Amino acid sequence: MDFELSDEHIALRDSARDFIAERWSPDRMRQALDTPPAALDGDIWQEMAALGWIGICASEDRGGSGGDVVTAIVLAEEAGRGLLPGPLVSAIAAGRALDRCGNSELRVELLPALFAGDSRATVAFDEPGGNPGLDPVQTVAKQAGDGWHLTGTKICVPDVEGAGTVLVPAAAPEGPLLFAVPAGTLTVTPMRRLDAQSIGEVVMDGAVLPSGALCGGGDLVRETFDFLALLTAADLLGGASAALDTAVAYAKERVQFDRPIGSFQAVAHPLADAYVACEIGRSLLYAAALAVEESRPEAPAYVSAAKAWAGETAVSACETALSVHGGIGFTWELDIHLYLRRARAGAVSFGDADFHRDRVAALVPGLDGYSVERQEEGKAR
Amino acid sequence: MDLSFSPEDEEYRIRLRAWLEKHQAELAGAAGLMQGGGSANILDAIGMAREWQRSLYEAGYVGLSWPKEYGGQEATLTQQVICSEELSRSNTPPLINTIGLTILGPTLVQHGTEDQKRRFLPKILTAEELWCQGFSEPGAGSDLAALRTRAEQDGDTFFVNGQKVWTSMAPIADWCFLLVRTDPSAPKREGISYLLCDMHTPGITVRPLRNAAGGIHFSEVFLEDVRIPATNLVGELHGGWSIARSTLGHERSGLSGVLSLETNLIRLWRTAGTLQRGDGVALDDPTLRRELAQRWIELEGLRHLGFRTLTAQIAGREPGASASVGKLFAAELRSRIAGTALKVEGSLAQVAKRSPHAVDRGRWHAAYFDAIGHSIGGGTAQIQRNTIAERVLGLPRSVPDELVKGGGPGE
Repeated sequence: MDFELSDEHIALRDSARDFIAERWSPDRMRQALDTPPAALDGDIWQEMAALGWIGICASEDRGGSGGDVVTAIVLAEEAGRGLLPGPLVSAIAAGRALDRCGNSELRVELLPALFAGDSRATVAFDEPGGNPGLDPVQTVAKQAGDGWHLTGTKICVPDVEGAGTVLVPAAAPEGPLLFAVPAGTLTVTPMRRLDAQSIGEVVMDGAVLPSGALCGGGDLVRETFDFLALLTAADLLGGASAALDTAVAYAKERVQFDRPIGSFQAVAHPLADAYVACEIGRSLLYAAALAVEESRPEAPAYVSAAKAWAGETAVSACETALSVHGGIGFTWELDIHLYLRRARAGAVSFGDADFHRDRVAALVPGLDGYSVERQEEGKAR
Repeated sequence: MDLSFSPEDEEYRIRLRAWLEKHQAELAGAAGLMQGGGSANILDAIGMAREWQRSLYEAGYVGLSWPKEYGGQEATLTQQVICSEELSRSNTPPLINTIGLTILGPTLVQHGTEDQKRRFLPKILTAEELWCQGFSEPGAGSDLAALRTRAEQDGDTFFVNGQKVWTSMAPIADWCFLLVRTDPSAPKREGISYLLCDMHTPGITVRPLRNAAGGIHFSEVFLEDVRIPATNLVGELHGGWSIARSTLGHERSGLSGVLSLETNLIRLWRTAGTLQRGDGVALDDPTLRRELAQRWIELEGLRHLGFRTLTAQIAGREPGASASVGKLFAAELRSRIAGTALKVEGSLAQVAKRSPHAVDRGRWHAAYFDAIGHSIGGGTAQIQRNTIAERVLGLPRSVPDELVKGGGPGE
């Protein structure tokens, strides 16, 4: 029984926190709101690649860092805490999908440059009409001779501007398939994300792909979706904790009616509730990360639990943090609105809370610990 | 990270499970009597419950954390968790002497004299002597240190006068551990002592109170010139406050509470899957499905928070923060599960339990009121939030220091 971050995880967390604080600042996100999208300077990305972050949990023999899934959520949480914009999370997810795909030629062709930071890949799930894309409908793959024809539209694709490869799940008669699509065969139109991070629309108008572009089937699509949802949950909780820390510090200092406002229960109790929600969220996040790491059958239910909880927690923690600051909280200069924007955007990326609750409702009765029959048996015994 | 238990611990679980299965009949009898309720067989029920605790004790499953020399097991933390998990899973009634086992016992182990330990601890384990807790008073609830029950020492005897309230088990308890004021002139936390009181002493009147759920669970206890030998003082004279605090600080991982909530949620899921609603069942309603899913998410959050707390305890760290978080969240979740249950019942949620139309024989109304009790007893939800705000987040006190520690309440 050991259910906390290991010393190695904590060391990674601390060094990531320092690196992000040194090389990036919330001010840059604020400026990017006027001149979107937020973009990392080229050398920061190279440095993160050199630190082994892009392939953080990809296998070492393919150029990855060989970390466990927890190392990836540690990085995503720090990205959220430090308001670091993409493409770290989308690149880690794309790299992991390629690392786990059955297509060795694709791995050899794409992974070294991806992990070295020389080229970028992302994943396109969302479809117009509110489908988070776990089960693609509008994007269709048809076999054409040796290769594939891909048609459809994906939206809100993270960090797609400048990506060399887009992983696209598409519907096929045999079920969902995942393709690695060269950016050149797609039409990319930038969209503007609430928090100034880069997202875009991707249109595939009968793009022709060679047979070698196929990465995998439904399992890989599902794994990749879960991984992105998991990292997004981590990013959300990192932001929620940062906003909460800021508000707690302010509540200790700000004096009104001759008392620090944190001594008023109307201020203190919502902060306590936000803390409770963050701790529950972190517990769900670790549960999900461990289930994904061990490829356990309950992994999808735990990922959905973590994502649903983290999205709502981040929004409410940021709203609490903003209101605790009073008038100052509503200024452009204070960072809280940057966190709130990121929380609102992340909460609906890769499935909103209701999507994930529906998924939990569908999955839970089949889980071992929750089988109704098992309870009945227990009573009959 | 690793959520598994060691092979030795899993063997321990298997042995305990086998023991519980073998004693199923005995268990069913005790459970039936405890829940059956009529006053005619209440004495039988108490006798059965004492017997049940005794047989569990003799099998080695009571007093797991206690020292061997006083009848305990000195079991590992994980074995303690496994034991409470399995007891919870097997639908056994709570041990009748739980208050003695979880609050007084650890207090005596830490602060009692050798004589007190030898005299009291073994009989707590066997349920030969049942205990109740005399802390709260009409004027001392959340502000417990404002208590006014007086104890005056005359030679080797304390004379106690005052009133306690919300005392669970009082009508059947043999003993009570009391917080009393021994120095009214001292600041309020510094004039309190911790006494062990024989409930059969003259001058004690117990008046049961009916709670909002309709049950009789707690009582008022009136003390009039009750004589307590000075040898029953625990710790130093006037030193009772820190002793009481130290036991309240013995937080557990809360994992056994998760199991009882899990049992409730599984039952509720089954009810929702069978209860007619329109042309189908309640579970077909997408809003209810989402709400049930949300309860599951919350339950798993609480469970895994418990694993983090346990990890901290195994490593010898103070679980402090996650334990107080778990306590607050568990109480809230309990009431949310009951609230969801009443939604699942729909219009039948208005039907009282004795009606043949009552869903699941009215268990969700009981769960609902029970949850309200849980959010008050042992520190209200508001007090828990104060604790988290002040001790975890480091926010300034909501109540000025002079009122918390302040002067004695006087006469």
